[in-house]
Amino acid sequence: MALRRLLALSLLLAGAVAPGRARAGEAHLTADDFTARVAPVLERRCGHCHGAQRQEGGLRLDSFAGLVAGGDSGPAIVPGSLAESLLARAVLRRDETLLMPPGEALPADELALVTAWIEAGAPHPGGSLEPPPPLPPFDPVAQRAHWSFTPVVRPPVPVVAGAADPIDAFVRQALAAVGVEPTGPADRATLLRRVTFDLTGLPPSADEVAAFLADDSPDAFARVVDRLLDSPQYGEHWARHWLDVVRYADSNGLDENVAHGTAWRYRDWVIASLNEDLPYDRFLRRQVAGDLLATPDTPAAERNALFVATGFLVLGPKVLAEGDQAKLAADVVDEQVDTLSRAFLGLSFGCARCHNHKFDPVSQADYAALAGIFTSTRSMESLARIARWQENVVATPEALAAHAEATATVEARKGAVAAELASARGAVAAAGTDPATVAEESLPEEVHQRLTALRDAVAEAERAVVPLDTAMGVVEGTPADARIAIRGDHLVPGRRVPRGVPVVLEIDGPLAIPPAASGRRELADWLTDPRHPLTARVIVNRVWRWHFGRGIVATTDNFGRLGDRPVNQPLLDWLAAELVDSGWSLKALHRRILLSAAWQRSSTAADSPTAARALEVDPDNHLAWRATVRRLEAESIRDSLLAVGGTLDRSMGGSLLHVANRAFLFDHTSIDGTRYDAPRRSIYMPVIRNHIQDCLWLFDCTDGAVPCGDRGTSTVPSQALWLLNGDLVLDVAERVATSVLAATPGDGAPRPLLLFRRVLGRSPTAAEERLVAEAVARITARLAEAGTPPAGREAAAWTAVAQGLLAGDELLFVR
Amino acid sequence: MQSIPLPTSRRRALAGSAVGFGWLAARNLLAGTVDHGLPVRARRVIFMFMKGGPSHVDTFDPKPKLSADDGKPFPAAKPRVQFAATGNLLASPWRFRRYGECGSPVSDLFPHVARHVDRICFLHGVHGTNAAHGGAVLKLHTGSDTFVRPGMGAWVSYGLGTLNTDLPAFVTICPTLAHGGANNWGSAFLPARHQGVPLGVASRPATEARMKFIANPRWSADVQRAQLDFIRGLGDQAAADPVLESRLESFELAFRMQRAMPTVEDLSGETRETLALYGLDDPVTANFGRQCLLARRFAEAGVRFIQVTHSDGKVQWDQHADLLAGHGEKAAEVDKPIAGLLEDLARRGLLDDTLVVWSGEFGRTPVAQGTNGRDHNPEGFTIWMAGGGVRGGFRYGATDDYGYYAVDGRMSIHDVHATILHLLGVDHLRLTYRHGGRDFRLTDVAGEVHEAVVA
Repeated sequence: MALRRLLALSLLLAGAVAPGRARAGEAHLTADDFTARVAPVLERRCGHCHGAQRQEGGLRLDSFAGLVAGGDSGPAIVPGSLAESLLARAVLRRDETLLMPPGEALPADELALVTAWIEAGAPHPGGSLEPPPPLPPFDPVAQRAHWSFTPVVRPPVPVVAGAADPIDAFVRQALAAVGVEPTGPADRATLLRRVTFDLTGLPPSADEVAAFLADDSPDAFARVVDRLLDSPQYGEHWARHWLDVVRYADSNGLDENVAHGTAWRYRDWVIASLNEDLPYDRFLRRQVAGDLLATPDTPAAERNALFVATGFLVLGPKVLAEGDQAKLAADVVDEQVDTLSRAFLGLSFGCARCHNHKFDPVSQADYAALAGIFTSTRSMESLARIARWQENVVATPEALAAHAEATATVEARKGAVAAELASARGAVAAAGTDPATVAEESLPEEVHQRLTALRDAVAEAERAVVPLDTAMGVVEGTPADARIAIRGDHLVPGRRVPRGVPVVLEIDGPLAIPPAASGRRELADWLTDPRHPLTARVIVNRVWRWHFGRGIVATTDNFGRLGDRPVNQPLLDWLAAELVDSGWSLKALHRRILLSAAWQRSSTAADSPTAARALEVDPDNHLAWRATVRRLEAESIRDSLLAVGGTLDRSMGGSLLHVANRAFLFDHTSIDGTRYDAPRRSIYMPVIRNHIQDCLWLFDCTDGAVPCGDRGTSTVPSQALWLLNGDLVLDVAERVATSVLAATPGDGAPRPLLLFRRVLGRSPTAAEERLVAEAVARITARLAEAGTPPAGREAAAWTAVAQGLLAGDELLFVR
Repeated sequence: MQSIPLPTSRRRALAGSAVGFGWLAARNLLAGTVDHGLPVRARRVIFMFMKGGPSHVDTFDPKPKLSADDGKPFPAAKPRVQFAATGNLLASPWRFRRYGECGSPVSDLFPHVARHVDRICFLHGVHGTNAAHGGAVLKLHTGSDTFVRPGMGAWVSYGLGTLNTDLPAFVTICPTLAHGGANNWGSAFLPARHQGVPLGVASRPATEARMKFIANPRWSADVQRAQLDFIRGLGDQAAADPVLESRLESFELAFRMQRAMPTVEDLSGETRETLALYGLDDPVTANFGRQCLLARRFAEAGVRFIQVTHSDGKVQWDQHADLLAGHGEKAAEVDKPIAGLLEDLARRGLLDDTLVVWSGEFGRTPVAQGTNGRDHNPEGFTIWMAGGGVRGGFRYGATDDYGYYAVDGRMSIHDVHATILHLLGVDHLRLTYRHGGRDFRLTDVAGEVHEAVVA
């Protein structure tokens, strides 16, 4: 870059200074001109960021001394030399890495004045050349007052009449403050449907509905919650939430879309961890530093799982064809720092790569401290195009032993080839010559035959070597502190910063990271310290969001100053304290929430005695005075359709990718080789970045590129097109219609009942039965007009009606 | 603009209430028209993307000194980051001639486009940030080669909305799935309705370019009408909810869209002369010609941002070797269709307010790769624009004497984007979307409008 810049600069500056020279009178600038003309321009154009209040890049331009002293990149001016004066380069805007002021360039006359003044030797009135003392650039400690940086203090549960449950007491207290009373409980059928989707992402079966409606024992609902939490489908559904947060994908996306062929091991680890209720602190620790937690005594399966968990750090999208390897290395670390901070802390440290965070108390030095932990970690095997991420061996001891044995066999057989060659050559070599120089072709025929057989044996042994299982993940690299990158440019390094965490979030002072360690273990300890102000708050808020559709802090991924404030901080803090005190059990948290009256409310506004007021003061239901009508998430829509069609394959785990690890999913040929035809649950379908499966993409699944704890719910015509015209819905409709017609040959009277039971798990109302009958009749008539033979009309009409029911609101929405 | 008919039911009352945002959502499909107080020179964009990186020194940016110094070493430093190893200077094998009143030079690769130079503004000082295809394609389309960001067309849709509610605001015809793929027309954090609708894919012929799920394999429109009425009837049985209300409207919109799209895509009403103008009568030009003709039809029908992509299942414009054959073949496929599109837009009066942009993801090096190829060159290359208020017959900016680096009238990709938005009457500094706690722009924290290219 340096050479390129110099070339560009030398080509440019000759022309660029012309305006300054061309203006009559500017050649005779004096010291008074600095005071009267130049300084006011700098004050007006630059003072906001480089003045007494703020000194971006350590630079202040409000005095001549400040100009000479410069900032992190060096002096702002070298009197007489435009080429050496950073200020001139910046305002001339010829160098993309240094465009100042940001946005609009200086007007031509001001540009001419400033450059002419520098060229004229920067005449100034004299006085002290001592730079003014910089303000303390950053005072993170003063920022600790921000609500989410303060320690969690368990608030007392308020005493609220009719609210024995602590969650209800907090919710009711907030509602009472605005004069709102919540809605009553939802009816039991709605409740069962809601809880089943909420915990498993699947609809309840007709038998489950019947059993629950018949069970009037007081703990009937609690037992349903336990049953669902104990089902493997719980882990599948809630793992999908977590995968959103960690931007999980089975391909790199971005520039070179190659397969993450082993990412599925991480996905399956998340599912298993949630199913076994691995405490959240340990869940996090393993993802940040699993490789460091294994000891020689750790059983192999457990050790492998620890390494698999670190896949979290490697799953991000990378510019794998980046020609600038130093930039790629810095970008990979940046992605790790930003993902970790967003996912676990609800903060975006990525901003501080280039400058002190504009809104949150995270400085460039804080960023460098955290980045140093990851530059000390090995995440990439190779940065050469196309770059390769780190894969760790996670084979079973049996596989390792078999692999070692098979490899030894290969080596032994290669040795036999070498021995045969050596002995044959020795036999024919003339005395005094080196046997190695004997050409193999010149050896006798019987030797050739023996060599061929031996080489065949080598090849056979090589084929018998089964590649060892690997998983994306990290290991320790070469520990070293990182440097601040001036303006985020890895080519302009600043000072080194000891590895650590942002000062504002330190708990017991700086992390004590041994010189020979990356610091990930210490980072994990800090993240999961029960006193950490963010970790517990962020996860309980995420869980609340996934249960209610809206977080107590609506911006689930931003707890910084630009994020929303909690609508009910006592509730949030109580839940956070409760999570930590329960040993970080997520299942305990689910039970707490689901058994509260707040979660079990009716979604119908009119069921609140103060409906009018509630709709007026809290129309978007921030305070949870009712349940919110919610569309199913994309994966649940597809899974439900497959379940209704009767083709859902409920087997768990494994990979459905059809290409090898690191192979291209999409190359320059644009040939679409993705396959999404397996009837497995959606969580097992490959997440191909840049080419997400249509039905999931249309219904707002994430793109797997950045952490997302708060999926949107769009309503766009392309969803309707998919429901009306897509193969899956048509196929399910046909299966449903076939079963309905098969059950009742002849008179169609009970068919609407069968249809509703099959699709919605309930009986139709009389009005709905009428609608079905009318629709069947009308569609049959249309089919007749269109010339459909009579024999095919009935099945077709019922298929069309079944499709309408599948595409309608009730299957796709939870009330 | 059409209003969306609502059924007569209690939903109508809901639509007018404070919580009836379904109605508002439908109206937003029409709205989104920012007013930055700037002159609106272009009302729509046709973006012609040449995948692979056409060589500027062999097409529109002639370098006599490159011819003179053929075979000599490049006399200055090569970029710090290069894609591949390169050798000495390689003269262009094509002859350049001057055309039009402006006398802009064009090589013999583009004799048809050359006839339109008086309508064209060449930007010779464009420079990118990435020497690999993926990064460069993403940068050109989204402004970022590091992060997933909304595509240019999505931003235009977000800022200006649609001119026809029955059609998407942004379509991309035969897009490439490589090098960012859907990210290049995605909406990222912008609302989903702003993402581009892909019609077909680069690996398949343009005759197959259709919006996915736009046609029903089984039901007639009559049957679907009855299905929609059934869905509506079911909805009326349940308690009203604004989300569900807007959902019903989306079904109606989809129903109309599946009638409107085939009408636009039906070329049977085009005259033989028009088909020939685009080269549809010649197998060499038929595929890209069809894309260009579809682009004109979508432009006429009110689509805001139309991208056509010249790509295929091979190496496209990426001539690391055998420049002569490769560029010769590629140019022959696009030259006549592009000229046909410019001519057709002009004679229909559409060119005045349609901005046509022609670009690859980068140019190519003036130095040879191997004996007869050129490597990627993001350091300086040519984009051209026509219509939509740009200064025709004008050459803006320059590369150095050999065509390696942009040295004059330098335009970053952010500058190109800022200028395109400016021509649409949109201030790139004010077209923002709040996401994750801050305001984002197509131009990130950079971008300058280059007024010199505005007519």
